[in-house]
Amino acid sequence: MSSTRRPVNCITPPHLLQKLLESDDQDIRRAALNTLLSNAHLRGERAVRATLAGAITAPDNGRRTIFDCQNRTFLPTAVMVRSEDEAESTDNSVNQAFDGLGTTRQFYRDVHNRNSIDSRGLRLQGYVHRGTNYNNAFWDGQAMVFGDGDGRIFTDFTGSLDVIAHELTHGVTEHTAGLEYHNQPGALNEHISDVFGSLVKQWSLKQSAAEADWLIGSEVFTPGIEADALRSLKAPGNAYDNSIFGKDPQPDHMSKFVQRPDTDEGDNGGVHINSGIPNKAFYLTAVSIGGFAWEAPGHIWYESLNASSVRTQFQEFADTTYFKAEELYGAGSTEQQAVLDAWREVGIRISGVPAAAAARAAGDGLTALTRQIEALSAEVNELTKEVQAFTAGK
Amino acid sequence: MKVTLATHGGLAAAINYRLPPRVVDADTLTEPAAAELAQLVAAATAARAPAAARSGRAPDEMSYTITVEDGGHQVVLAESDTTMSQEFGALLSWLEQRSAGA
Repeated sequence: MSSTRRPVNCITPPHLLQKLLESDDQDIRRAALNTLLSNAHLRGERAVRATLAGAITAPDNGRRTIFDCQNRTFLPTAVMVRSEDEAESTDNSVNQAFDGLGTTRQFYRDVHNRNSIDSRGLRLQGYVHRGTNYNNAFWDGQAMVFGDGDGRIFTDFTGSLDVIAHELTHGVTEHTAGLEYHNQPGALNEHISDVFGSLVKQWSLKQSAAEADWLIGSEVFTPGIEADALRSLKAPGNAYDNSIFGKDPQPDHMSKFVQRPDTDEGDNGGVHINSGIPNKAFYLTAVSIGGFAWEAPGHIWYESLNASSVRTQFQEFADTTYFKAEELYGAGSTEQQAVLDAWREVGIRISGVPAAAAARAAGDGLTALTRQIEALSAEVNELTKEVQAFTAGK
Repeated sequence: MKVTLATHGGLAAAINYRLPPRVVDADTLTEPAAAELAQLVAAATAARAPAAARSGRAPDEMSYTITVEDGGHQVVLAESDTTMSQEFGALLSWLEQRSAGA
């Protein structure tokens, strides 16, 4: 034991407590977990995650555990109130969080053959009743944390399945592309969470793309607030417009990209703002292809997420979706054409696509010819520059 | 003493951006409440750690800027959901329960 630690005198050694976490007896598991949490609390919150990482996050097919923060913000003091094999709680927030984690887990397993957030069975933990009047829910890297809302603008965040799936999908992104949470990569990070947040809800309701509402967080507002939702993938910029917090600022086209400083005050470069652009592209792709959006569109996007990286920008992601559509459904397929059209509608032209192919989608012969000439002119200009450079170097 | 609370980020970041900061003026409080506020501010200030790397922040977590103005002197405390000390959390909870927005 490190000499820099404050001494914590515990009778039961940690390795034994961790073993007890695997017990078939839920009372034994609960007691062991609460003891580990109490011990970690005594060593300070910043050490908690490391202390519990091995015990709590051991692969276990996404086993669920819900904790009640009892309105505190210090998570290690939360009390475990429901685990995977236990019956419903009398607390509706506990049950909603439990169910939401389960539905999201099932979605990723059934649709993407993914074993929990990390594809290795990461246990799913939810912390409800966090803080006082806390208007938020977030994924902290290992667990999902829910607020009750202030009762004035927002209500209990466990009541929204797409919010739960949105936050858990941040974990999926963390374990795949790792998109950095600022500027365009951050907006893509938010976009991916909005897409799969909506898809989990659609999948749970067996709704087609045409039937879906494409809203994120429609259940988080109190009844008196005039707002459809936090965001709309179908109509970015139209989720709300009221006197309390104004109009939804999301753009639906690259020409309306919002420049925000990369600061806390600037929403890290507008990650929750500019996600509207790729959100609209996904919606357009889904309704164009038709049927269930978690099928072809969802698979294209999931594979594109897996093929992306920490600094992927909008253009690169769009290009990836186009080429993933080809890989999955064939060159010139309906799916690939839908992806091409959707990105063009939001102002992003897929790189390397022959102008004629893009123009065919527009259905305008003169436009196709014009674009072909433009593309050829650009190639001639490039060749001219190369020749000049070669000549100058001789 | 005047204490201003501004919140940033979160799932509803676009909405939080539009909401005005919340203000608590100690002159409008009872003596016990003003004393309690002063104690909470002192504790949060003493517990202030070096600014956490923003790159380590969790998606959709909220961050908070508490500005304390007292006798011409200003102190700015900035923490987030996953970095805040217990003392900052206690001050934050107190302010959220007591303050009123514009």
